[in-house]
Order: sequence, then structure tokens, then C-alpha cells
Amino acid sequence: MAAQLFFNGLVTGLLLALPALALTLVFGVLKFANFAVGAMLTLGSFAAWVANVQLGMPMTAAAAIAAVTVAGAGLLADQFAFERLRRRGSITLLVASMGVSLMIENVCRFFFGNASRGFDVALSRPIRWEGIRINQEQITIAITVVVCLVAVDVLLRFTPLGRAMRAVADNASLAAVRGVERRTIARLTWVLVGALLGLAGVLAGLDRSIDPLIGWNYQIAIFAAAILGGLGSPIGAVLGALTIGVAEEMSALVIPTNYRQVVSFAVILALLLFRANGLLGAKAARK
Amino acid sequence: MSVVPALSVSELRAGYGRGDDIVRGITLDQAPETILAVIGPNGSGKSSFVKTLAGLLDIRQGRVSVTGIDVTAEMPAKRVAAGMAYVPQEQNVFPSLTIGENLKLATEFLRGRAGVGPEQRERVLALFPELATRLKTRAGDLSGGQRQMLAFASALLANPEVLLLDEPSAGLSPKIVAQTMEAIVRVRAAGVTVLLVEQNVAAALEIADEAVVLVAGQVSLRDTAAAVRGADLGDLFFAKVA
Amino acid sequence: MIAYLVTIAILVSIAALVGLALNLQWGQAGLVNFGVVGFVAIGAYATALLAPQIGWFPAMLVAGALSAILSAGLALLSIRLEENYLAIVTIGFGEVVRLVILNEGWLTRGALGIADIPRPFASLGQAIGGDTVFIVFALALVAVVFALLECMARSPFGRVLRAIRDDATVTAALGKNVFALRVRAFAVGGAVMGIAGALHAFYLTYIDPSQFTPIVTAYAFMAVIAGGRGSNFGLLIGACSIMALLEGTRFLKDFVTVIDGVQLSALRLGLIGAGIVLLLILRPQGLAPEPKRRAADLLSNDERAA
Repeated sequence: MAAQLFFNGLVTGLLLALPALALTLVFGVLKFANFAVGAMLTLGSFAAWVANVQLGMPMTAAAAIAAVTVAGAGLLADQFAFERLRRRGSITLLVASMGVSLMIENVCRFFFGNASRGFDVALSRPIRWEGIRINQEQITIAITVVVCLVAVDVLLRFTPLGRAMRAVADNASLAAVRGVERRTIARLTWVLVGALLGLAGVLAGLDRSIDPLIGWNYQIAIFAAAILGGLGSPIGAVLGALTIGVAEEMSALVIPTNYRQVVSFAVILALLLFRANGLLGAKAARK
Repeated sequence: MSVVPALSVSELRAGYGRGDDIVRGITLDQAPETILAVIGPNGSGKSSFVKTLAGLLDIRQGRVSVTGIDVTAEMPAKRVAAGMAYVPQEQNVFPSLTIGENLKLATEFLRGRAGVGPEQRERVLALFPELATRLKTRAGDLSGGQRQMLAFASALLANPEVLLLDEPSAGLSPKIVAQTMEAIVRVRAAGVTVLLVEQNVAAALEIADEAVVLVAGQVSLRDTAAAVRGADLGDLFFAKVA
Repeated sequence: MIAYLVTIAILVSIAALVGLALNLQWGQAGLVNFGVVGFVAIGAYATALLAPQIGWFPAMLVAGALSAILSAGLALLSIRLEENYLAIVTIGFGEVVRLVILNEGWLTRGALGIADIPRPFASLGQAIGGDTVFIVFALALVAVVFALLECMARSPFGRVLRAIRDDATVTAALGKNVFALRVRAFAVGGAVMGIAGALHAFYLTYIDPSQFTPIVTAYAFMAVIAGGRGSNFGLLIGACSIMALLEGTRFLKDFVTVIDGVQLSALRLGLIGAGIVLLLILRPQGLAPEPKRRAADLLSNDERAA
């Protein structure tokens, strides 16, 4: 039982890792907590659903469409909302992202209603290994996320774009003097973040039914994961996501499963109280 | 002056947002391969002046040119490409990047600057040999003096004609200040013109060829460093602008 | 039509109370609260559970007090946090309240909700007729809360709060206990949210968890932004215009036949989102902005000496 929960927790954690990474990247480069992560994930689920079920595309093509759609939405939100409010401080941006979140969620609701939907994928038998039940979807989730994480890691550490993103996160005006345009890097960050959230939406849609609140269900856990890792730290976000995933699933041993989300909240609160900088990274106390 | 000045500033005015002018009509020329110290009391506009030259503050009036090229309307990055490199005060390296990454980033997004290549990297690392041995160290883990060397090196990688330094001694111990000033002399010897904004007047005048005193955003005095060394600072800083 | 205007007036009253509370916390004290809905829900459930037993007025007081206590507790734990983190903790609090209400069926009847909540002056209402008595009650409640909050904003306490918002370091250096003042502001805001929840429960006479979604929080933010952060008077205008806009869109259904109920509600919620973004961009100072002053100027000389 415990081993099964631990395994499920790792997979849930991997699923959380992509949006947590997206949240932390936006926080690093653009300096605000993007409340619209959940809604953008929802948009990814629906974009993939349209491609897969209505247009009959295979899941890989549907995933690509989801990534492109959410990246586009991120660019639009950046161009018309976030960039215009950039100088007004991180809370104004956070409130604006709440507005963006409502818009995206309700565009999905307007076109697709509140009904639950699922992808058109063949059901397959779970595998049994050492007494643990492993679903096909869990394998897909794990492989996709690991590949994405490796790709993002390589991008951030070994490419000029990755260096530029980290440089802008450190000190945007110094980066400007070095020839790195903040605006360009901001746009590229949205493309990357949009792609991650789009893929996360596809994986979430494999794991549970797709409805306008699919992303909201993960919202608190995503924030908990990113805070646990120290907002702004990519590796921290991934470790935070795995911890939150395992903690949520394992909590079933001691508290009713209805209260899974409370675990995330308790982790955030405990962490902020006892260690204000997260596992790795930023300061959380104010003057 | 018969030679083209390395740095030429005329009637420069600048300020923040909709506020009053902080830089209030500065005119000066600087001969190539010299160190010009810019000194003045707190709030005299020294730092704003050098930020304006680097392109981080909007120019409201006047012109700035580097080796005869007008850069008044250019973005910060274009100014670097035109031959003007800038080292800000204190927060002048990327702390989460390694030394090697800081150095790579210093040139990989610069377009249109000649002489930016492996040879320049060799020359710069020869000036600061300590950096070459620690390329994998995170810049955030460096001491104040090491950080300053990395900041100089990053700026010099762009093969600048003019190097703008904003208070390189800030936050450093006296011993490290002396090392930093030595490094600036080496930089001049390598053929670079240095505009040195300093609060530490004694250290700056020690190595400078000439000095200007800024008071209330205007030049109140310009003379050789030796002459200014002998003068009374109180008289200079609090004298009425002529 | 009259019945319709009555509905709008009452909805405006509830929105105005929630908005006034957020305006105190965020507008005047600079403490962002994304868990508004949680405090409103606590007030509504406290009222629904207690009013049949102890009467509407004591129940409303308990609702306010309970919200204030929980608010103070959350503030004690988290008010030191940088605002992005405070935002996240309060979002989490709102969700926890919703989960507790949904799952503790022995107390809250879970998703079934609680019905037959008694209204204030119910017998008088029957005598005179319909909602007239209730609307007077609602408007009077808003007037009383508005007057109290306005007095507070003009008091030394209110001035110090705004000083803290504009520059906490300077205000602390002038000898003010920034932490305690922030906790108090958060608690007072929580009390008003609890009372707004009570009014909500009285009006609908039936509550269930589906009424307390993060949208309630979004309404409150939009009202504060529309009114101009910090201004109580602006907040009233903001709350009126938002409810008029929202309720106005209900008429769309009569003219546009191609959209169904779900689409209509999606349209309205999407409009709220677009409204928040547009107001932030186009009218950052709000409809009736608070006059701009420097932090130090907010503290008069005798307060600095104190």
C-alpha cells in the first residue's frame, strides 16, 4: 500500500514538475507569481482535446498543438497585459494574472461547457511490478516529463538563450548593457513556459477528466511546489514538485483523501514559517 | 586637441522619469588612453552622469560620442558595440552564473563589434589571470575584489575604446581598493580610455591623469589630477558653480 | 423590474461590504488577500448555523468575530511574508475553507448546503411586504460599516496604516509597531468580510459550497481596482458599476438566443477577468482615487512623537 502510494506520488510529482517549473521561470525572468498557471494548463488540455478528439489527430500531434496554443496565449497575455503593467510592481501583475486566468478559463467554458471530457486513447492493462500497479498513462507521464526536464536543463545551462534567461533573472539592467534585450528574453520565456504548460495540460488530461477546472485542481499544489523549491529556482521547483506529489499521495495513510490539497497548504505555511527561503532560493520576508 | 577625443560629451542633460534634470548641462572631452576621474559630493549627479553615458538614463538634451561616433540615440547594447563598455556599481556581475558563463555572456549577444574573439579573451584573461583558473565558480560566491575583476573582464571582452567605471571601490576593503586601482592602470596600459567615477577621491586622483569635479550636475572644475590633488576638497565640492 | 432593481441593490450591498473589507486590507494597509472568499464563507456558515438558535443579530456578530479571529490568526502566521508569498498563503486558505465546508458534512451538510436561514425582521417583512424591509436593512448595514471604516481611515490608526503601506521601513523607524498594526488591519477586514457573508446568507436563505468560489475574490478585487485603491467612496462607486455591468449582461440572454446558460455565465466571468486587466491598464488610479501623499506626511508631528 505505502509503496503504491509512494509510486503514485512520484508520478503526480512529475506531473506537477512542469507547471511548477513554468511558474518559477516566469517568476525569475518577469518577477511575478503567475496566477494563470492553472488556467493555461486547462487551455492546453482543451487544445489537445480538440486536436485529438474533434480533428482525429494522434496524441503526439495533439500535444504539439497544445504546446503551440498555450505559448501563443502566453505571448498575447504578455503583449497586451503584463508588459504594459511591468513597471507597476509584482502585485499588480499578480492581480492582472488573476484577470487573465478568469479570461482563459472562461474561454474554455464558453466553447466546451462544464462537461467532463477525455482523450481518444486506447485503454490498456496496468502492469504489475513488485506488487505495484503501474498504468500506461503513468509511464507516458513519467517519460514525457523526464525528457522535458532534461531538455529544459540543457537549455538553461548550456545554451546562450538559457544563459541570457538566467542573466535577466539576476539583473535585467546589467543584461541590457551586455546586449541582452529583456523584451526578447521575456517573449522567449513565455514561449517556453507556454509549451511546458501545454504539455502539462495534455498529461493532466491523460490522468483525469478534462473540464474547465482541471488546472485549478493543481493550482495550490503547483504554488506549493514552486515555493518549496524557492521561487525562481528551476531545480528547486522540480524537487518541490516531487516532494508535494509524494506528500499528497502518502497523506492518504493518515488523513481522508478529500483533504489532500490541505497537505500542500500546510507545507507552504510550515515552510514559510520555519524557513523563509524555500529549499533553495529567494527571500520571502518583507520589510 | 588635434586627435579625435575618445569620449566627447556636449551640453548633456538627463533625469529620472518626469523628475528634474539631475545631469544639468555637462560638456567634456577626454583624450584617448587616459584616466579621467569624475569626483564630487554625494548627490552631485556623478552616478547619473555615467548611467546616462551607458544609456540607462534617457538623454533629454545634448550629445555623446565615442571616438567620433555619435551614440546619443542608441540603446545600451548598441553603445557597447560602438566601443563604450560600462561597469555598474557593486551589482556588476550575474551572481547565479559561473565566471565562465559571465564571460561568455559578455560577448555572445553583442553584434557588430570588431575585435571580439578568442584573441581578446586571451588578452583579457592575461590581465586577470586569477579568473582563468576558476571558470566553474559561481560569481555569487566570489569575494568583493574577485567580483570586481570579473566585472572589469566582462566589460573589456567587448574590446571597448572607453571603459566607464561607476565607483569600483564601493564596498571594498582598502587593500582591495589598491588592487582595483592597479588593475585600472593596467587597463589603461592596454590602450583603453577610462572614465572613473569615484567617491574615494584620494584613490582616484592617485591613478588619474585628469579630473573633473561635478557639483549639482554641472562641471565646476577641470584640471590635471596632480593639481586637483593639492586643492582643498571642501572648497571644491561646496564652491558655487561658476 | 422593481424586483430586479431590489435584487441588484442587495447584491451591490454584499459586494460593497466585501469590497470595503478588501479596500481596508489591500487598498489602505497594502496587504494583499486572495482568500477573501474563505472569510465570506465562514461568515455565511456561522450565520446559517447560529441564527436559528440564537437569533440573527447575535449570529451576525459571531460571524464577524469568528472571521476576525481566523483572519488575525492567518495574519499572525503570514503577515511578515513578502506580498507574493502572502498572496499564495491566502489563496491556499480560501481553498482550505472550501474543502472543510465540503467535507465536514456533520456540521455544514456538505454539498447539500443549509436551507431556511431566517432573515432579520422577517415578521415585519411579511407585514409590509417582500424585500422592502430587507433592502433597507442591507443598505443600513452598508451605511454603518462605511461610516465606521471611514472614521477609521481618518483616525490616527488609518493614517499610520497608509504610511506603512507606502513605506514600512520609515514608519517602523518612527517607532510604530508595523507587525501589530498590520495584524489589526487584517482582522478588521476579516470581520467585515464575515458580516458580508452574514448578509449573503440572510438574503439567499440557502447557502452551499458552490456559492463560494474564487470568483467572489475576483469581484472584490475588481471593485477595489475600479474604485481606486484606498478610497472607500470610490469603492462604493466601483461595486455599483461592476454589479450593474454584471447583472446587465443577464439581459443578453433575451437578445442573443444562440448562447445557453453556461455560456452566458462563462461570458460574464470572462468579462470580469478582462475588466480587471483593462482597468489596471487604462485607469490605474481608479474612478475616485485617494489623494496622493508621502508616507512621512501621513504621520502628523504629535504621532511621530508618540
